[in-house]
Amino acid sequence: MKKNFLIGVILFFAIWWVVAAVHLLDAFFLPGPIEVLIELFTLLANGSLNLDIYVTITRVGLAFLIATLIGVPLGLLLGASTKVYESFEFIIDFFRSLPATAIFPLFLLVFGIDDSSKIAVAAFGASLVIIFNTAKGVMNSKQSRHIAAKLMGASKLQIFKNITFWESLPQTFVGIRTSVSLALIVIIVTEMFIGTYAGLGRRIIDFQYIYNIKGLFAVILLTGIIGYAINMAIVLIEKKVIHWNGK
Amino acid sequence: MKNVIKVKNLSKSYDEKEILSNLSFCINEGDIVAIFGPNGCGKTTLLNILSGINEKTSGQVKIKTFDEKKFSYIFQNYRETLFPWRNNYENIAFPLHLGKIEEEEVRRKVVEMEEIFSFKANLGLYPYQLSGGQQQILAFMRALITEPSFLFIDEPFSALDYGNNLLMRTHLQKYYKKYKPTILAITHDIEEAVHLANKIIVLSKKPAGIVEIIENNAPYPRGTDFLNSKQFALTKKKVLLAFQNGAYS
Repeated sequence: MKKNFLIGVILFFAIWWVVAAVHLLDAFFLPGPIEVLIELFTLLANGSLNLDIYVTITRVGLAFLIATLIGVPLGLLLGASTKVYESFEFIIDFFRSLPATAIFPLFLLVFGIDDSSKIAVAAFGASLVIIFNTAKGVMNSKQSRHIAAKLMGASKLQIFKNITFWESLPQTFVGIRTSVSLALIVIIVTEMFIGTYAGLGRRIIDFQYIYNIKGLFAVILLTGIIGYAINMAIVLIEKKVIHWNGK
Repeated sequence: MKNVIKVKNLSKSYDEKEILSNLSFCINEGDIVAIFGPNGCGKTTLLNILSGINEKTSGQVKIKTFDEKKFSYIFQNYRETLFPWRNNYENIAFPLHLGKIEEEEVRRKVVEMEEIFSFKANLGLYPYQLSGGQQQILAFMRALITEPSFLFIDEPFSALDYGNNLLMRTHLQKYYKKYKPTILAITHDIEEAVHLANKIIVLSKKPAGIVEIIENNAPYPRGTDFLNSKQFALTKKKVLLAFQNGAYS
């Protein structure tokens, strides 16, 4: 953990506390951090959020897994040929620019109203980010290593397997990190606005409807913590896998 | 001695700007040839044409028994040709692993390279954990592990301080005595050229033409005492004169 990590955490809660303490906003709609933390610990301790946490993390995990399994090979394939990538560039950029949740009705028609449509729409948005970044990683890989390997007698497949793939990894990880955040956002939004039996998004909207503001902020805070933890876990994996990056 | 590289009236232009002009020369099997000339005169372009990386505009290039697996090229930007995701052992062994040679034989060859180049760094580390000089030696070991018939080097010892530079000249000669490859080396260091080469091709400023090909037939291995010899001084003087004619004419 970085040395100055705690400063950020303290700053975050201090600003929140000051804003709440001076009643910059109506105290009913913005409770202080201590009250919210107490509410969060209560909700966690009595186990009432267990199912929501499990369901949301499972949905995000599945969406992210599907996005990676589709996005990385497809990105490698598209990036290997500039001509092929250029042919698909419009489609990728068009859907990447479009909020994934906007095309949710289409996914409802195809996948139905259960979990699969939520996971599919999140996987779709996340995979586009991975495809784009992986393909860029392949296309921007250093030519000097390709030429050197070619002169050593490496075949195209050997060059791709031993050099291009590795060269593209730093950019692929940029895509992976962005995509997991996107998957979490899409899952929470669909849980909030499309019917579901459980999930942190559903909890947020439920607490809002019944004016349980402390509960609402507690779940928002928990969602943020989960997103941050997932991001940090990927950073750790990234450091291990692409140990040479930036050296 | 048989000719293994024949170049006749070779020219190269980029966007109608002439880089190389009408070069003709022959190289014998087992020659160590230094290509010496002013900065930016097209030395790397010449080596890239001979190795097939760049196309020639006109002229003929004939290389006998030229086969990719018997050919190695150490680039000037050697750092960018090492593979940072593979450790030092895997970097050196890479050309042999491509050919699916048995691991025991690969290990034997890596140890031989370590001995020839007195490489002391940990092979389990990664290239980015080595000094610039060690990385350059790593590039040499990887290039020579296949026992190439032809070795092309662009600025062979550019990352080394003078002491290590002298040491590398000794190591390279040790390898040369054992395997006798034909070596073409671009250098801007006149001492390096006269110390190592038996033939020095002096190029003029752009568009580069051959000013003179100077023979330098002292026997190998040439130790540091050769640097104090009369022959060294005489050859160096000839190269310098040719260089001045080509660079300022």
